[in-house]
Amino acid sequence: MSELMILEELANAVINGDDGKALENSKKAIASGIDPLRAINEGLMRGMAKVGEDFSNLKIYLPEVMMAAEAMKAALNILEPEAVKRGGAALKKGKVVIATISGDIHDIGKNIVAMLLRANGFEVYDLGRDVAVDALINKAEEVGADIIGASTLLSTSMPYMEDMVAMLKERGVRQKYIVLVGGGPVTREWAESIGADGYGDDGDEAVRVAKELYHKVKGQ
Amino acid sequence: MNSIWEVIDKAETGAFMEEKDFDLKVVARLCRELVKEHGIKYDPNQIVSADDSMADDVFEAGMKLALEAGAYCIDTKRVIKFDEAELKEALLSAPKSITIGEGKDSRVLYARGVEDPRPAIICGGQAGAAIPEEWYLQMAISYMKEPLIDMINNGGLAMVEGRKVRTKTPLEIQACRRELTMLREAAARAGRPGIGFIAAESSVSALGDLAIAHERYMRKSDSHLVALLNELKTDFDRISKVVNFTEYGAFNCTLVDPIIGGYAGGPEGVAVCFVASFLLGRAMYRSEFHVCHPIHFKYMSTSAPECMWNLNIVGQAMARNAPFIIMGDVWTSAGAGSEMVFYETAANTITNVVTGSHPLGVSATNGKYPHASGLETRFMAEVAHAVARSRMTRERANEVVVALANEYRDKQGKPDIGKPFPELYDTRKVVPNKEWVEVYLKMRKEIAEKFDLDLLY
Repeated sequence: MSELMILEELANAVINGDDGKALENSKKAIASGIDPLRAINEGLMRGMAKVGEDFSNLKIYLPEVMMAAEAMKAALNILEPEAVKRGGAALKKGKVVIATISGDIHDIGKNIVAMLLRANGFEVYDLGRDVAVDALINKAEEVGADIIGASTLLSTSMPYMEDMVAMLKERGVRQKYIVLVGGGPVTREWAESIGADGYGDDGDEAVRVAKELYHKVKGQ
Repeated sequence: MNSIWEVIDKAETGAFMEEKDFDLKVVARLCRELVKEHGIKYDPNQIVSADDSMADDVFEAGMKLALEAGAYCIDTKRVIKFDEAELKEALLSAPKSITIGEGKDSRVLYARGVEDPRPAIICGGQAGAAIPEEWYLQMAISYMKEPLIDMINNGGLAMVEGRKVRTKTPLEIQACRRELTMLREAAARAGRPGIGFIAAESSVSALGDLAIAHERYMRKSDSHLVALLNELKTDFDRISKVVNFTEYGAFNCTLVDPIIGGYAGGPEGVAVCFVASFLLGRAMYRSEFHVCHPIHFKYMSTSAPECMWNLNIVGQAMARNAPFIIMGDVWTSAGAGSEMVFYETAANTITNVVTGSHPLGVSATNGKYPHASGLETRFMAEVAHAVARSRMTRERANEVVVALANEYRDKQGKPDIGKPFPELYDTRKVVPNKEWVEVYLKMRKEIAEKFDLDLLY
């Protein structure tokens, strides 16, 4: 099988959410001497770009995005260590701690954003729903997160986002994190007013802003 | 029909399951399989469908989903299941009409049929919005003084006496009581003391609902919303709300809002999920009526074509097979003060009224900004009545709705959000200002003439 075919198969494995094929073609890529970073960028990431585009156009839905992210994870488990073994640096991925904030049990919007972030190469720690501000910050500190993301569908949970920014300042760690907020009632103006770094009107925007800010702040 | 005691028992003793497995291995899988098995297909050119057999297929698939999946209780991680006899009993015992409100302001809310010529019940208000306390009263009056508005479902309060309301804190109690106090005051000032409410919107947890189960706040002829969480889920907080209101004696209304693009899949899977949700909502919550609110994964708005198709096919599926009382939300991307809000309101309202639901809105800007007023809801009511009066067919409704949607579908990502209520109304007299009236008259004339809608005057 040619290099191009293997890369194509890797992309297809992600698009089809097939973790078996993703694993198989990752091994083939290594055996064929393909640079693992090339396999990641020209195979897996290309597949993920298509998944993101199809989801944005409602050609596929959340379960398919979740399966694609699983396939990507399976392939990365093979390709990443190989890249390091060959003397390359480990892939620098942004770490995101994300949750639906205190008082709110609506999590599907947050789940979509978490999946899209994973699909775009971020390492995501999803703490679930109705998560207290201090729990969110503690987790970010524990894993050395780059980004803290908070979501809510309720206007009465929005003040907890404000509390989160205040608590980060109080603990003297505000500058360590990119703070992103979003959800039904959250507006761009409100996000600015509480001192968040970014806002996403939908999943696509959330990911775009996360990538932009991460690259800007971390120089990646 | 199962008692609430039996529902609690089921939540505590049903089969254990991890939530992720319920989402993917049950809901996502079944929705995908049932859509395929029944050949259900969304057609963007048939937003209002005249295909009776597809409506029946959606119902049949929804019944299968309700039976096979059941509802997931987040707190116990157990599945609440009902057998066929239990679901059919819930279905057959559902009321075909209820009386909302009191005295001369009361209205009979009924199960609408397909192409029903009876006037729809108009529920007005910016449901879902956080409205500033400073002008909550005036905004509520702006709806209640509209004679065509039959009942009220306005937004909640984000602040009370300068304090931000946080869920599950003492301020949730204060916000709910203040909301109801102001709604009662607004009703009295508008001369409609008996008008029925869906409230309290400030009640997120059961704490808020518990605080208003008193004649001073909620009457037994009022109703509250109990959500079925996404997708096909509940928790003890929701069930506590039901327990409280069932004993108090007011109406339970299921709020169902599946996400297009989420676990249920595309528009077709969401339609199946809707039917299952209504059936399970009736069986679990003993709801007397239901709100149909498809959520677009990008725009939220119920006026998005995929969402209106859902309102249409779900409304028909229920009307033909299980006549439930259903209110269809009218949530627009645009805000009051804009021209776009009229196109969205007209399309969404026509879809609802022709296909079996009563319109509830206008929740302009999807409730994101308090850019709403009684005037655009007057327009919603005028359109609703014109549609029923003219006995508009589904075929004609589709032509109009598709044409209207073409006016705004490309703008839903960046809508004109209009203006806040105090910039649209003279808040002392609670009347729309000249500029807002001119926009209303212009758009009313344009839409009426273009689509041959008889708005009477």
